[in-house]
Amino acid sequence: MTAAALPAEAAALGGAAGAAAPKAKRAGPSYLHRRDRVTGWLFVAPAVLGLVVFLVVPMALTLWVSFRDWTGLGSPFDSKSSGLNNYRELLTEPGIRRKDFAFSLRNTFYYVLIVVPTQTVLAMFLAFLVNQKFLRGRGGFRTLLYFPAVTSSIAITLIWLVLFRTSGLVNRLLPIDDINWFDEPNGLIHNLLGVVGVDGEPSWLRGEVFELSVWEWLSGPSVAMFAIMLMTIWTTSGTMMLIFLGGLQNISEEVEEAAAIDGATWWKRFRLVIVPMLRPQIYLVVTLGIIGTWQVFDQIYASNAGGPQKTTLTPAYLVYAQAFTNSKAGLAAATAVLLFVIILFFTWLQRRVTGSSEAK
Amino acid sequence: MRSTKPSRLTMVAALVIAAAAGTAGAVSASEEGAELRLWGYASSEAEDTALTALLDDYAATSGITVTFEPQPEYDTALQAALSAGDPPDFFYIDSLRLPDLAEAGALAPIPDDAIAEPDDIYPSLVDAFTYDGTWYCPPKDFSTLGLIYDVAALEEAGIAPPTNMEELAAAAEALTTEDRAGLSFGAELARAGVFMLANGGYIVDDEVSEMTLDTDENRATLQYLADLFANDYAATPASLEAGWAGEAFGQGKAAMVIEGNWIVGFLAENFPDREWGVVELPAGTAGNATYAFTVCYGVGTESGNQEASWQAIDYLTGQEGAAAWTAAFNVMPARESLREGWLADHPELEPFMNGAEYAQAWQFRPGFADVVTEFNTQFEQLISGDTDVDGFVEAVTEAGESVL
Repeated sequence: MTAAALPAEAAALGGAAGAAAPKAKRAGPSYLHRRDRVTGWLFVAPAVLGLVVFLVVPMALTLWVSFRDWTGLGSPFDSKSSGLNNYRELLTEPGIRRKDFAFSLRNTFYYVLIVVPTQTVLAMFLAFLVNQKFLRGRGGFRTLLYFPAVTSSIAITLIWLVLFRTSGLVNRLLPIDDINWFDEPNGLIHNLLGVVGVDGEPSWLRGEVFELSVWEWLSGPSVAMFAIMLMTIWTTSGTMMLIFLGGLQNISEEVEEAAAIDGATWWKRFRLVIVPMLRPQIYLVVTLGIIGTWQVFDQIYASNAGGPQKTTLTPAYLVYAQAFTNSKAGLAAATAVLLFVIILFFTWLQRRVTGSSEAK
Repeated sequence: MRSTKPSRLTMVAALVIAAAAGTAGAVSASEEGAELRLWGYASSEAEDTALTALLDDYAATSGITVTFEPQPEYDTALQAALSAGDPPDFFYIDSLRLPDLAEAGALAPIPDDAIAEPDDIYPSLVDAFTYDGTWYCPPKDFSTLGLIYDVAALEEAGIAPPTNMEELAAAAEALTTEDRAGLSFGAELARAGVFMLANGGYIVDDEVSEMTLDTDENRATLQYLADLFANDYAATPASLEAGWAGEAFGQGKAAMVIEGNWIVGFLAENFPDREWGVVELPAGTAGNATYAFTVCYGVGTESGNQEASWQAIDYLTGQEGAAAWTAAFNVMPARESLREGWLADHPELEPFMNGAEYAQAWQFRPGFADVVTEFNTQFEQLISGDTDVDGFVEAVTEAGESVL
């Protein structure tokens, strides 16, 4: 989902960001004649209709269904109301549903935490490289780096499964014990601690918080999840690189030259001139990254379906599983609504942290 | 799991039999000319072709045209069609899925006398499609689990195929070598469950209303399985770098596997050189046990032409249709009267067929899928030593009680 959905989102958000900048001379609606306004609405009507049919109505329906006991096997309008039951099962009632939801939150939280910063830094670095005038065959490199983004994520997942299996190439190249990466449930932090002799769950971390033990929350993403993270970073960095490249090409040579004449080193130019001027792009890439990573689905679906030991379970996969294999469409809708709230919250938080100075 | 791949020869045989069986039952004149849509899983091209041939033949004699429309992502497609109020005329229903559909009122029960000679169908398979006392649909065929063994490996070790749990453990130990596991099966309830059943226990009671995992029998069974894996006498397909146990067996990474009759076509096609045999699953303290996996033809409450659909289903699951269909593939006819005829063609598969007598249907109740997943997750931990039997029983029972 991430890789495929990103270009469209990028276009939408990029357009919005671009439009926000030159807002000096704006003709307010009051200047328009009534007839012009009608004509305007007529022109945008097809787009508005599309938005209503494919966005507003489904979202409203999802919200409504999340309060109902719908199996997904008949008309939703025949279903019974279940009040807040679906949300209660996910948030307050101890049990398997809440536990699965907790697992999915933990897994995805680590996923976002690692994938978003890594892909942002990597994409910026790659964009910087392929923007160098002296680099021969720049066009070729750009195409190559963008290639994973236009490849089917299912196909890439299958290749990943082969690369990361016990006798796979990755194990051959790395000086580690041969493991089947996609079958390793142990957390990365758990494994790191294993080096200093912590083997398994220490007793003082057995207390449960929201269905999982403190140890389960802290032991990090599983090796299997880590392999999926590497895949996502590899596939989305190309897309993000394009966004940075657009930003870099807007920075005129004079600026860099001026800095060079002032005696700034390469590193200082990058850190104090380029990066600040790429601020809008960084904001965009991080926002897209957060939205895309919280919704990770197809890599999970094609590889492990949540396993091993639920360490690659994600909210988006949980929505699918509840709706289509467990006939709990109401519960799935509630999960989707919570995922929406989570994404909204983190995007807002991100905007507060990085976007505030950019908006000035 | 559902896919079975026949050889060309068996297909030709199927067509011949299908043609010979072209005297379909009497059809009331009113249904002549009916055009029906049948939805099913997209499996092998050969299977689709054979089913289409069977349906063509039926159309020629009855005047009822059935178009088979295989659906990729079947469950999702069917669910969308049902919730839109526009299901196909009749469709495949997996026994695991039946309770969900029945509970939601999406299925039309079988009308009186719509299916000829229902007593001929194995009772365990009628149960698999009965929910809250109502029989919803007749099985199109079925499969059971058996113990498939590597003939050469057993000869080399000088042992006979195991018939009980002690012999199984001993055989698994004797057959384990540096690069081969003695026994392999997926770390899931659909395999581990048969061990509990054989020892007189199970995860839930017969009505799927209460968790029954916390018994001495189950604990002993689970410990037995945990020990097999702890000693590396048994291994999961994933740890053997195989997609499923059949692949591990074909590649020679496992000497014995627990799988269903779908493995037969798979081995014939992909590993024709591996010599295999099959026996019934080893008996436990309570005798033999296996799972039956089966699919039926069901009619939706809102399906269009129900009467014609039931006539078509009656033919497909009746003695003629089922005989033609099961001759084409390594699936077994659900009718007892067809047993001998089928065994005459597939004598080596008798252990699978015998399972019909005592098989437990692979079925629970709506919402139980979460518990099955939790069982599988905990079972992975149990066999990798991350949890013990006590922790396992506690976690799965807790999960089950929160759902039931």
